[in-house]
Amino acid sequence: MASLSLRNVTKSYPNGFVAVKDFNLEIADKEFIIFVGPSGCGKSTTLRMIAGLEDISSGELYIDGKLMNNVEPKDRDIAMVFQSYALYPHMSVYDNMAFGLKLRKVPKDEIDKLVQEAARILDLSHLLDRKPKALSGGQRQRVAMGRAIVRNPKVFLMDEPLSNLDAKLRGQMRIEISKLHQRLEATIIYVTHDQTEAMTLGTRIVVMKDGVVQQVDSPQNLYDKPCNKFVAGFIGSPQMNMVDATVGKTGSDITLSFDGHTITLPEEKGKVLEQKGYVGKMVTFGIRPEDVHDEPAFLEASPKTTFSVTVRVYELLGAEVYLYFDINEQNCTARVNPRTTARPGDTIKVALDISKIHVFDKDSEMVIVN
Amino acid sequence: MISNQILQTTIDGLKAITRIDLCICDTEGKVLSSTFPDAEQYESAIISFVDSPADSQVIQGYQFFKIFDENQLEYILLAKGGSDDVYMVGKLAAFQIQNLLVAYKERYDKDNFVKNLLLDNLLLVDIYNRAKKLHIETNVKRVVYLIETKHEKDVNALETVRCLFAGKTKDFITAVDEKNIILVKEVKPTETAEELEKTANMIVDMLNTEAMTKVHVAYGTVVSDLKEVSRSYKEAKMALDVGKIFYSNKNVVAYSNLGIGRLIYQLPLPLCRMFIKEIFEGKSPDEFDDETLTTINKFFENNLNVSETSRQLYIHRNTLVYRLDKLQKSTGLDLRVFEDAITFKIALMVVKYMKYMESLDY
Repeated sequence: MASLSLRNVTKSYPNGFVAVKDFNLEIADKEFIIFVGPSGCGKSTTLRMIAGLEDISSGELYIDGKLMNNVEPKDRDIAMVFQSYALYPHMSVYDNMAFGLKLRKVPKDEIDKLVQEAARILDLSHLLDRKPKALSGGQRQRVAMGRAIVRNPKVFLMDEPLSNLDAKLRGQMRIEISKLHQRLEATIIYVTHDQTEAMTLGTRIVVMKDGVVQQVDSPQNLYDKPCNKFVAGFIGSPQMNMVDATVGKTGSDITLSFDGHTITLPEEKGKVLEQKGYVGKMVTFGIRPEDVHDEPAFLEASPKTTFSVTVRVYELLGAEVYLYFDINEQNCTARVNPRTTARPGDTIKVALDISKIHVFDKDSEMVIVN
Repeated sequence: MISNQILQTTIDGLKAITRIDLCICDTEGKVLSSTFPDAEQYESAIISFVDSPADSQVIQGYQFFKIFDENQLEYILLAKGGSDDVYMVGKLAAFQIQNLLVAYKERYDKDNFVKNLLLDNLLLVDIYNRAKKLHIETNVKRVVYLIETKHEKDVNALETVRCLFAGKTKDFITAVDEKNIILVKEVKPTETAEELEKTANMIVDMLNTEAMTKVHVAYGTVVSDLKEVSRSYKEAKMALDVGKIFYSNKNVVAYSNLGIGRLIYQLPLPLCRMFIKEIFEGKSPDEFDDETLTTINKFFENNLNVSETSRQLYIHRNTLVYRLDKLQKSTGLDLRVFEDAITFKIALMVVKYMKYMESLDY
């Protein structure tokens, strides 16, 4: 397997469109890296540049220390899996997996060995004689992965490989891919717009927007310490609640005032805001739905962060309830216990787990304190 | 003619089933494919067998068979052994190869027909007559996909596309030059534009994955008669060209989505030069610095929205307004006004087209 290094990589097209700007990333051997972001953010373009299917406009790409900018895709020792796991319809699973090797003039016995091994890893051995139409969606996707595995590449590149599958199968395949990574000990770069896939699969996640890397971090750190408002909003479902508020100072307490309510920040977070000169200014604070509570015990323990809201929508999901309400005409969500008595139209008290609050600069949208 | 590789695969397959060694030679005794070594030593025996009136004969422990293509002797088949079983296997093999010849000829004829059809080399009456002979339906819906590979004569790409559509006998895969593969695909009456695009994307993905090659795919509109297939081909060809000029960030371009680019592509160059001269008064948008060009492109991308553009450019709103004012002073066009914005956008596209055409001249 291999390490990768992308240094100041930029992709611009002759029509002036810049798809990727100054992309820098070091990927260690055996890492499972996820590129995540909304559509059009440049994640697939970056992947295609690594594959050699798009030219790099400026910057350098190294695989195992070798400059790859001008190396042909077939000579980069990589394998790709795409969303459209097109299989040759008239060929058996075995032949589908072997076809790429035949094109490369790999000896027959070598092909057989590689296909049988890949089939074993992917649990496809009993399906090798079947034609694609006799396979389920998940099995077809496994064959597509088998085609990549038989090449025994240094790096696997996967571009939204699960997007064509239904939600249930996607869940199963996520586990399969995770197992595969452990078994193959491969370097995998995986592109998705699905943040659940990103959070569950990656050892590190690269969040992108408008061709620019926003943050590179572990899934937990991205969730707990987003570097800006975009990352905070993109990672997590339901989304983080964002509310505009004015920073104030009452005695030694630093407060946030919004929509007629005032909450007090913990000392260390307040200190950061004060030191950075935000007192009297507008900021945006973010709080995750699970950090908004309505349990009486929590309300009692958190008088400085309690305020009233009117429930707009009540959504029971079995193990939890989502309560939707508005603050400053901004939609907010609380993920609460299903035993809650709140119903649409009720005005209830909620309290924030203030230690989990994130504060962002209103203009630059960069985090001030997490 | 059938390639020696196919002949070899055929007799290898037959040997695997029957365990009888086979060899195919041409009428001069030259070995084309064989499952056993030293087949060359039968050259003189083959030449005398060719001259004999017999259809089959046992010589030196081998059964010799003649394979004809429309009464013309094409190959000699040798089967090792003199038993009845070997005779039967030899006969079966000769029959199989004779049918391969027929199939190959039919395919070659079809390929030739499709090529001529695409290039408008056939009279209308010939189209229908030959289509009937070749069992090609005339009144079904079809669309032409044009697949441009980065390298000329990309055998892997052609093989991949052939295999991808091999099961579909009503689709034709051919090439009229060395860089492009043409797929004439039958379209189901219910097939939507999304499905056509999906097919194009699948081709790109497949070639990226299997042949590891960069490709661009363009496709024309759906035609409902065989005689109109060349129109769909020409549209696909234009889409490929227009795509290179205006949509270089896309791997798949549909003729139906070319928009204003198609119109500009058909303008004569002198007219374009005149238009640019009038708009920019002798200057060229090339003379704008990178910052100005980025600003303009971002402003268009964001539908002339000042706030969103300034946010995405990480600049203050007033900075953007200043840049737009500066541009207005130098060009007389205020990009915040729709009429001016559209003139500017078209002018930029015209310049791009002119540059592309000029680059072709050299």
